[in-house]
Amino acid sequence: MADRSALTRRGLFRGIGSATVVASCTRTHPGTATNTPSTDAALSPGEIGPSPSRLSFELNGKAVQVDVEPRTTLLDALRVDLDTTGTKKVCDRGACSACTVLVDGVQRNSCMMLAHDVEGRTVTTVEGLADDGHLTVLQRKFVEHDALQCGFCTSGMLMSCSALLQRTAGRGSALSKEEVQDAIKGNLCRCGTYPHVIAAVLDASKERA
Amino acid sequence: MAKTEIKVGFGDQVKAVSVELPKGEAKPWDADAQLEVVGKPIPRRDGALKVSGRAKYTYDVNLPGMLYAAVVRSPLPAAKVVSVDTSAAEKIAGVKAVVQVAEKGDAVLFAGQDVAAVVAERPEQAWQAARAVKVEYEQRRFVTRLAFAATPDAPLVHRGAVEERRTEGHVTEGGGGDAQGNKRPLRPMKKGDVSKGLKGATVHEAVYETQVQTHSALETHGIVARWDDDEHLTVWASTQSIFSVRDELAEVFDLKPTNVRVHTDYLGGGFGAKFGASAPGSRLGTIAARLAKQTGAPVKLMCDRHEEQVCTGNRPDSIQTVKVAGKGTALTAIEVQSIGTAGIGTGAGVGRNAFAVYTKCPNILVDSSDVFTNAGPGTAMRAPGHPQGAFAFELALDELATKLGVDPIELRLANDEHPVRLWQFEEGAKRFDWKAKRAESKRLREGKARIRRGCGVAASIWGDFGRPKAAVVTCSVLRDGSVEIRNGVQDIGTGIPTVLAQIGAEVFTRPLDTIIVRYGDSELGSSVGSGGSQTTSSVTPAVRNACEDAKEKFIEHVAELLGAKPADVSWANDGTLSAGGASITFAQACKKIPGESITATADRPATYGNHPMPFLGAPMPQIAGVQFAEVEVDTWTGVVRAKHVLAMHDCGRVMNRLTCTSQVNGGVILGTSYALMEQRVMDHDVGRMLNPNLESYKICGAADTPEIEVVLTDVYTGANNTGAAGIGEPSTIPTAAALACAVFDALGEPVRRLPMTPSRVLAALGAVPAPKGLG
Ligand code: FES
Ligand code: FES
Repeated sequence: MADRSALTRRGLFRGIGSATVVASCTRTHPGTATNTPSTDAALSPGEIGPSPSRLSFELNGKAVQVDVEPRTTLLDALRVDLDTTGTKKVCDRGACSACTVLVDGVQRNSCMMLAHDVEGRTVTTVEGLADDGHLTVLQRKFVEHDALQCGFCTSGMLMSCSALLQRTAGRGSALSKEEVQDAIKGNLCRCGTYPHVIAAVLDASKERA
Repeated sequence: MAKTEIKVGFGDQVKAVSVELPKGEAKPWDADAQLEVVGKPIPRRDGALKVSGRAKYTYDVNLPGMLYAAVVRSPLPAAKVVSVDTSAAEKIAGVKAVVQVAEKGDAVLFAGQDVAAVVAERPEQAWQAARAVKVEYEQRRFVTRLAFAATPDAPLVHRGAVEERRTEGHVTEGGGGDAQGNKRPLRPMKKGDVSKGLKGATVHEAVYETQVQTHSALETHGIVARWDDDEHLTVWASTQSIFSVRDELAEVFDLKPTNVRVHTDYLGGGFGAKFGASAPGSRLGTIAARLAKQTGAPVKLMCDRHEEQVCTGNRPDSIQTVKVAGKGTALTAIEVQSIGTAGIGTGAGVGRNAFAVYTKCPNILVDSSDVFTNAGPGTAMRAPGHPQGAFAFELALDELATKLGVDPIELRLANDEHPVRLWQFEEGAKRFDWKAKRAESKRLREGKARIRRGCGVAASIWGDFGRPKAAVVTCSVLRDGSVEIRNGVQDIGTGIPTVLAQIGAEVFTRPLDTIIVRYGDSELGSSVGSGGSQTTSSVTPAVRNACEDAKEKFIEHVAELLGAKPADVSWANDGTLSAGGASITFAQACKKIPGESITATADRPATYGNHPMPFLGAPMPQIAGVQFAEVEVDTWTGVVRAKHVLAMHDCGRVMNRLTCTSQVNGGVILGTSYALMEQRVMDHDVGRMLNPNLESYKICGAADTPEIEVVLTDVYTGANNTGAAGIGEPSTIPTAAALACAVFDALGEPVRRLPMTPSRVLAALGAVPAPKGLG
């Protein structure tokens, strides 16, 4: 599933074998290198940084353009630059799934991706789940079952569970408890909503079936 | 004051008592009250905002021109600051200011202490600048190991007086004597004479250890500060106590409290660590406001996860020597000697399970001490002291029961006096199928099966700490037909605004969606902190009084419209108001309100009842709870799985069965996590936490969670006019204890250290050598 040609924060660390992030990096995502105006002198074509460079992608169905530094994570770009704060920052290192978004339909920890990784791709955050202000069945079931307390893990939970429902959409039968539990294994919740999250997703899947 | 008769009690144990109601107090909703909205399982009202990502938490506040701060923290556990060089940090692009928080010569007492702070245009720049601040230290001797810190050879952690942090709503054991070295005794809890009780009795004595647990709220501590002018400060704070943030900032910056405005619209958890403008181990609020003043721009300062783990509080650990003695089924003596470390802070007591649950025992001594270490300060955490005390004592009790040859429930029933808890033990044993399950675990144990099962039970004790006068609530009937309730309380995640709306809907017999609740803002009337499980019990009675008063005024207005006496106005459930043949709808009557609204403001008097049993002799009810737990243990790998927890709890009159159940689930899951997974791991050689994150500091996930069955026992206490009591803390007290008892049942051997990791389970079975202790 991972696009190996794209930069990921984890891959970058692995590649350079140290936690020192390089000042400039090459973006090799197909079809994007040419249209990137960089403000930094003496860069080879396709290189960006360290100053902000133009990034274009689709966010919740709308085309967005924003200038971000190569070191900025997708999570920070969403929250700081695009004021899309429904996606939460909790651990900032891939341990809790609070920052889960869908990139081209696949759930990813946005804290573990660099913003420039999503050049030309589509990103869906929790704000993009509802259709024109109408909550999805899953969102409604979360509310009905009280699958949220403080609500800080909720966006990530919803993204993981939406992805599960999407993955299994064609099946026509309800999900099992184990399937839901598996889907949210990486989503930490400190308030203890797991039982109600599971009930909500099962209910949503029944409605679908 | 007139006497009013009310019905108190629970289940079929209801009786009439007469209470003296303070002036202006609404008659309590007692056992006879038939309520339509209060108590029902109503989904929280901000649910839609939270599931659509539109709820703005402190972390989400983005103000125009806002700058981002970061704190430079000491990597050393004990040192003297020799010099701070900010020049390199200042040169980093986007950096607006770099300030020293510790001055030359200041002492550093733990790894993670504030030393300097930076502020920049973007968060990445701030982090980069924080790394570029060069601090030179002179290292000092330090101690992070609890047992060593308590010895005379250990380096002294505090050289001067110790500043004591008290958390609102948490009754701490308090200082009981002079410090000796790093050790500072807490006030002992004592009755009778333990040595007498030991004579001729069967005695069990053992040492129990618990770990340091961190709060790990998902939203880290943080604050956004904006100066509106030199005299006015507005902040958004991730806090459990809006008004303590206000007062602290007012004091630090010498402002009038009313000139400091605090917003907490949504809060990503707290669990006891988020009182005040600063975190227990970091002056976040002061730093943010200082940087905002210096730069003339709003400043956001949020902890990262590492900081959250090391300097924002924790549950202290403990080493407890428990002695318990009995004859037949009668407990004759209980003695607990305990030490624990709250790092550089205080508060390592062990709660009240040993002292105040099994009250038929005539001789009890609980003696505990704080031991200072060079680690981040402990602070109140969901039922401070209690889970650790409950674990040690309830497991010791089961070990004694084995020696006495009695069933653990029988022993508890014979020594507890709380009528609700007694009912919970008996009823729970039936629901849980206790006898059959214990027989099955015995069969597996004796057959030396690889996969064993076991069950255990433990008690919860808490007090109804509802506070008088603290919450001031305004209720207005508006011309558009809605009813508005205002109070500056914050929602830590329990759903308190929903409960307040339910009270309004009940009093006015109006649809829930016509009740507006405004909260989370210091300008909406003073309120309590969300701690001590006191919010619902402190705020709902004030809401009810305000609503009843506004309703009375509204009826006067209606009477005037109908040309009748207020006493003759009748109020139908559909909102029709009639008197002497004339009638008017609620909406019509509202439209005719002169001015904007009919408004009343009220508070809550002191608690005036304590049925069915007082809390440690205090004029407040004792909240009862019992949890049953079932585990499965793989004796080859040592892995314990929590299978099932039956949580039976009293929280007075249940206000909302849905959100209340959520809270109990949360208590059980936190307790399971504490029992099986979580622990702060210190590197005692360098004095730093080794797992300051969420990948190696393990918290309970969905797959680790047991099946949870919640039974809420409505208890009519006559303590306040809504009958609400707390549930947040009581629901986490007995979980780890019940699980430990269940593991003992499964193995026939106790695991006397938390968390019950595979290596400790295998050691208990004698399969591997015992891992080294905390000391
Ligand atoms: S914030 Fe991204 S996984 Fe925790
Ligand atoms: S609802 Fe608070 S962390 Fe999940």
